[in-house]
Amino acid sequence: MKRSLLLSLIVGVFLSLPAFAQTVNVAWPYQLPPDGHYNTYASGAINLGIYRDLMEPPLAVYMWSKGEYEGMAAESFGFDADGNYTVTLVSGYTWSDGSPITSADLVATFNTGYLIGWSVWDNLESVEAVDEQTAKFTLGEPSLATERLILTQNLTPASVYGSFGEKGAALKASGAASDSDEFKAALEELTTFRPESLVSGSAYVLDDVADAKAHLSKNPGGINADKVAFEDVVAWNGETETVFPLLQDGQLWYATHGLAPAQEEALINAGLDIIRNPYYSGPAVYFNNKVEPLNNPVFRQAIAYIIDREENGFVSLGESGIATDYMAGVSDTILKTYVSEDVLDSLNPYYVDFDKATELLESLGYSKGSDGSWVDGSGNKLAFELTFPAEYADWSAAAENAAQALNDFGIEITARGVQFQQHVQDVYDGNFELAIRDWGAGSPFPYESYLVPFRRYNGQGELAGEGAGGGMSFDNNVTYSGGEINLLDLTVASSQGTDLDKIKADVTELAKAYNELLPAVPLWERYGNNALNRGSLSVPENGDPIYQNAGLDHFMPYMILTGMAKPAE
Amino acid sequence: MIQSLSGPVDTRPWWQKLVQNYTLRTFVQSLFTVWAVITFVFFLIRLMPGNPVEIYVNYLMNTENLTYQDAYNRAASQFKFDPDASVVQQYFVYLGQLLRGDMGESITSTGTKVSSQILRYLPWTVFCVGSALLISFLLGMLLGMLAAYFRNTWVDNVISFLASIVSAVPDYIWAILILIIFGVQLKWFNVGDMRGTYDPATPPGFNLPFILSALQHAILPITTYVLGSIGRWVLAMRGSTTSTLGEDYVNIARARGLKQNRIMTAYVGRNAALPLFTLLAISIGFVLGGSVIVEEAFVYKGLGSFLFWSISQRDYTSMQGVLLIITIAVVFSNMLADLLYSRLDPRVRVTGDK
Repeated sequence: MKRSLLLSLIVGVFLSLPAFAQTVNVAWPYQLPPDGHYNTYASGAINLGIYRDLMEPPLAVYMWSKGEYEGMAAESFGFDADGNYTVTLVSGYTWSDGSPITSADLVATFNTGYLIGWSVWDNLESVEAVDEQTAKFTLGEPSLATERLILTQNLTPASVYGSFGEKGAALKASGAASDSDEFKAALEELTTFRPESLVSGSAYVLDDVADAKAHLSKNPGGINADKVAFEDVVAWNGETETVFPLLQDGQLWYATHGLAPAQEEALINAGLDIIRNPYYSGPAVYFNNKVEPLNNPVFRQAIAYIIDREENGFVSLGESGIATDYMAGVSDTILKTYVSEDVLDSLNPYYVDFDKATELLESLGYSKGSDGSWVDGSGNKLAFELTFPAEYADWSAAAENAAQALNDFGIEITARGVQFQQHVQDVYDGNFELAIRDWGAGSPFPYESYLVPFRRYNGQGELAGEGAGGGMSFDNNVTYSGGEINLLDLTVASSQGTDLDKIKADVTELAKAYNELLPAVPLWERYGNNALNRGSLSVPENGDPIYQNAGLDHFMPYMILTGMAKPAE
Repeated sequence: MIQSLSGPVDTRPWWQKLVQNYTLRTFVQSLFTVWAVITFVFFLIRLMPGNPVEIYVNYLMNTENLTYQDAYNRAASQFKFDPDASVVQQYFVYLGQLLRGDMGESITSTGTKVSSQILRYLPWTVFCVGSALLISFLLGMLLGMLAAYFRNTWVDNVISFLASIVSAVPDYIWAILILIIFGVQLKWFNVGDMRGTYDPATPPGFNLPFILSALQHAILPITTYVLGSIGRWVLAMRGSTTSTLGEDYVNIARARGLKQNRIMTAYVGRNAALPLFTLLAISIGFVLGGSVIVEEAFVYKGLGSFLFWSISQRDYTSMQGVLLIITIAVVFSNMLADLLYSRLDPRVRVTGDK
């Protein structure tokens, strides 16, 4: 009797092991109902951020290393001969409420998005079902940027949002303004809509949301359900400080939460791996062009020669702060896919060169005084304030290091931390001399990176109703060695059309002009420090091309959905 | 002069009695304080950098990699919030709502009543911090009395030493120590299982499994709060008891040969505890504020955690709602302490009249 009891206990324990191993543990902060809810078109939705793909399938994922899209909910997609866009969904799959996944969902998704101002509608005239699985997107003009806006959308069910889609389509057709009563009424109805659950069309369905964690179980009829290696997903709730003990304890397997260097070291010591994936952005020194001589590109070049960007990156973010080589306003990785090798070789890397910096400053009429400080012809010291968001530990370190380098060289810099939400506002409003803000963008299209200095930090603050600040007041009409151009116009042009050669030519010109004029000096590019427990989760080694995926194309949901992520053996 | 046996006759007119009524005056002062605080809070939070739209824009840019323009379009469509609207006008609308008993709707969660948000989180904080306050108060009184009775002995030394140590360590440090040392390193409990307010597998309701689950999940935050506050009670009670022990009436009681137990309870304990009850009344008001960091550390979704979230989202209406509730609790618990004291010590009431 005792022996059989013992045997059944052992068998029970043995059987329970695979069940435990088939739950993948990730983390994302969310808010509980009533603040959190399941309307993915309204703010506060419990969609688990990057893990939304596990429930609402994206049409496709852009594979950054290959430069091409891989279909997820979309089986095929592309431009028609008439310049419009067609998407055909995979067939034979169902939403978790039992309704089939069809082109009606595509139409409902985009028409509902019209109500909340999806920018794809800037170049989209209508979305219509062609057949059971295919929909046609009638475009203003063919555009690769619009293609990305279409394909990276997550599909939502017509059974839930169909009525909103119909309202969106009717409002679009009638040309009703977004501030009209009927538009506002439809929008309010949408944003206050609270479905009872999140209906899933992807491999998992959210079946329980609690304070500590959200639980997703397999959605048998969903897309990719036949490919995934895990039966369940647990998404732990919380920010870095709250999930850190779970990482240490081995209960959380993967977290994208930015870790402090000390936390990273503790996890490495505990046997965890750190995935260092590119973010395609980082901190840069921005200049207020209303302040002399910050408006002079020669002076900005001198600044670039003085700061040791490798050191700056290391002291700020350790192995995850990587200095850029091309200094062209776009991540080196992205730039390589748009700009020819000979042009890349011609770009100035601005490696540390004090002699060159001295030569440039002297060419502007400055000289070094007896006390080691640089002064102008009237004896006035070159002295500026460098502000930075005080709460961003890595950017603060970058600012302190840059200030130290410039002070050592004889340019008097006072570094001052500003509350992070106030800091961005100060830059929008032009209330700064030198400031640390972000450069680059997590998009495969360079135009998004160029919009940051040429538009976002160059007078766009007023968009948010915060007053008419001029940002860094950089004149986008520039003359450089390649001629006269308007940088913002060229940036916008590079976002249009489908002619890749023309886009490459635009980006090449932008890169050359940026490299020469340095509207902002990129310090380094941020790479991730995502904690990964390889003892529990089997995924490709660091350096695998999949880790080049970023932003909306994040690699972890992709790997879970395609079965690349498996329980560790 | 013949004096009435029932004491002096109050000849003041009724309205003067009303105006000079200590209880009424304290109540009106409390109402005024609440109004002043909510007015201050209303304007103060709007002076904070950023606004709900800008915060959501940054969130969308960081998580969905939208361009600023796209993110702004999306954010602007979501919230019933106009950054350019007159703040004074908003203030009077808010006051009007409050007079009707309506705290308004959340800005960032469109259509969600602030009152429903508060009702979601408030009970957990009251349960957790309230229990901790009661435990630390009772335990603190007991240990403080013990230390005072055995003053200058090893008992006093040990209790006072430990109380000084624990009162010097903030509660959030206790939270981290408990999680990392006892949870992660010593494995005394499962870090993941103890997070949250209850086990998701237990359906909420008035039944034993749910109550046990709620108690289990509250143990760590309660322990943290108790550790963070008990030292204060111990030291206060020790000081109060020590001074009471030197009072003449205690010496007389001893001289009368009363039993030690009777002296301890009726003469010393009761009188020494009096100042602590006033402190307790004031502390009750702060219960609702919870402790933001402790609630965050244990993912214990109470009012403190919700306040932290609403501040980070710049959800003005939700922030106002939580701060209003905390203000009312603090002000009225102070009022209660005032009234309690005036009952216990009539000199307070008489001086107040003058």
